[in-house]
Amino acid sequence: MLPVQLMTFRNLHSVAFIIRVILLGFGIYQDKNMVVKYTDIDYHVFTDASRLVTQGESPYNRSTYRYTPLLAWMLSPNIYLTFHFGKLLFVICDVLSGVLIYHILTLRGLSCDAACHFTALWLLNPLPIGVSTRGNAEALLAILVLSTLLCLQLKRHFTAACLYGLSVHMKIYTVIYALPIALFISNQKELKNRYRGVSRLFLTLFHKDLVLFAVVAGVVFLGLFLTFYCMYGWDFLQETYLYHLTRRDIRHNFSPYFYMFYLTAESEWNFVLGLVTFLPQVILLLLTSLAFYEDLPLCCFLNTALFVSFNKVCTSQYFLWYLCLLPLVLPHLRLTIKQGIGLLLLWFIGQGLWLAPAYYLEFEGRNSFVFIWFAGLLFLIINSVVMVQIINNYIPKTFVNQKKKRK
Amino acid sequence: MLSLYFVLTVLHVTFCGASGKDDGGCAFAPSWLDSVVMSMKISKQGFHRDLVYEVRHEPRSRPVKALLLHRLPSGVYMDQYQLADLREEMGLQVLLDSALDLESPAHISSAFSALVFLSPPEPLQAAVPVHGRYHKASSSGGWEHVIIDPPKLLLRPEHCDTVDPGLPHRLVDAPCTIHNQSLCSWLEIHGLQVSKVSLELPVGDSSLTIPVCAVTTLVSLLCSAFLFRAVWKRGIF
Repeated sequence: MLPVQLMTFRNLHSVAFIIRVILLGFGIYQDKNMVVKYTDIDYHVFTDASRLVTQGESPYNRSTYRYTPLLAWMLSPNIYLTFHFGKLLFVICDVLSGVLIYHILTLRGLSCDAACHFTALWLLNPLPIGVSTRGNAEALLAILVLSTLLCLQLKRHFTAACLYGLSVHMKIYTVIYALPIALFISNQKELKNRYRGVSRLFLTLFHKDLVLFAVVAGVVFLGLFLTFYCMYGWDFLQETYLYHLTRRDIRHNFSPYFYMFYLTAESEWNFVLGLVTFLPQVILLLLTSLAFYEDLPLCCFLNTALFVSFNKVCTSQYFLWYLCLLPLVLPHLRLTIKQGIGLLLLWFIGQGLWLAPAYYLEFEGRNSFVFIWFAGLLFLIINSVVMVQIINNYIPKTFVNQKKKRK
Repeated sequence: MLSLYFVLTVLHVTFCGASGKDDGGCAFAPSWLDSVVMSMKISKQGFHRDLVYEVRHEPRSRPVKALLLHRLPSGVYMDQYQLADLREEMGLQVLLDSALDLESPAHISSAFSALVFLSPPEPLQAAVPVHGRYHKASSSGGWEHVIIDPPKLLLRPEHCDTVDPGLPHRLVDAPCTIHNQSLCSWLEIHGLQVSKVSLELPVGDSSLTIPVCAVTTLVSLLCSAFLFRAVWKRGIF
């Protein structure tokens, strides 16, 4: 039994890797021979920034570089070895994310066979395959978030804290996991049984594991922050964090708010509208954190999906932030395959309905702003329906445990 | 950094007959100059276009270099990084006079100049990518017209750093090549019949502001309430 299962695991990951390598090769061919390029524009931005750091300059001298300097450093073999090094690195991270998903699933009680099936949803999914082979760095973050979750599940709080600190440094949005992680770590049964009220709250807040986690993650984040702030100054702070926190792009994107912000740009209503759109996002994030922290992967998935769906700016790369967590959630849903495929189709249709008018606007010059706006709103509705279906069909872990005990 | 301090720093302007210098092959015959024709077209649709320039002359046997000095309005931009890639891939030679913001909307951007170098072999032509900027929403929606005037055409014989003035055209100093390290004398050609081109860029309809804000906020609140209810009911508190 075991060798067959091992083979399945190995086969799946090998096939996933080979598909990606073939696409890397195809990308090189397409870039050389076709008008439409395969490589994403961001990859050129990373490489330009990398060239600058190897010359001792600031990566932020490359306009539109809005990432940590670590990324530019990491990709310096792009300059010294080959232009394709970074893509290979992202592809490897992408496949390693699959390994992490597999391990988390088996830890959550799935059989190796079942874990393979759910891992395939990531490894053979065209979206992450396309994104990593085109040279987007999202796989780096997937690996950091997934390994944080794995370490937390294994109760390796120190490693988890280091990885989490690094995640927040790499992409500020991961800060939305702070509350569920804190609640998860401090969720001790003996405290719940022995203490009540304020003393319980106090003991929870200062639980030694939580304090360790907070201090280590804080030190990693602040250490990197101060190092890069000293090196690159205000540019680093502005481009890596402040830009993302205050970003409000009036150019068309998947956000339901894009047209509203475009029409009200520079009006006095802009601030009020910003607040009106910010509040539902914050309230929902707080509520889901409190409601589902015991099942950390589910909670992180919902938090990310909520954050992305209600964000003021949304591009298709943002979808990967929650897609990498989806295989961890699916085994705990009561959905039938038919329902699952139905929801998936709905999600893709939502994207398709947005992409068509966006193409006509950008490449054909048609005035399709109203259609893009409609499609953005419809996509928000579809995302909400999918999330509600996931929440309604979720089988709580406690329920699963009880069932196991009864058996 | 591509801060190009050069452009159009017309260091000296010399008119016909101002100098008696003559070194043979560096002068243009009037009949040849009359044969020079320039065209400018815009291809593709939407926000990402190509400006296609072409310079023709007769006879073609005489190799000349052309430099187009093009002042472009704030409604469009060129991407210096894309130009650098195209230079490497296809030998496209374009210099910009300033670093441009690739994301800002038209009304807070400024006009800029591009120097397009066209070198032999013939035909002297280039397709330079130009991108439309987002414009402020207008009260009727529709399209914003961005007019692009034709560039100035400068010529000099290949292998000549200076051009013999001998004709009623103006001499101007401008960078010799895309490397922008030295200045050469170029002959500015006047009287070319080149038509303007225009881009039509879609703009938002500001008369819809109130319904758009109302419906967006309503949908966003309804979706939040829908999700809130589900989390509240199913959450483990």
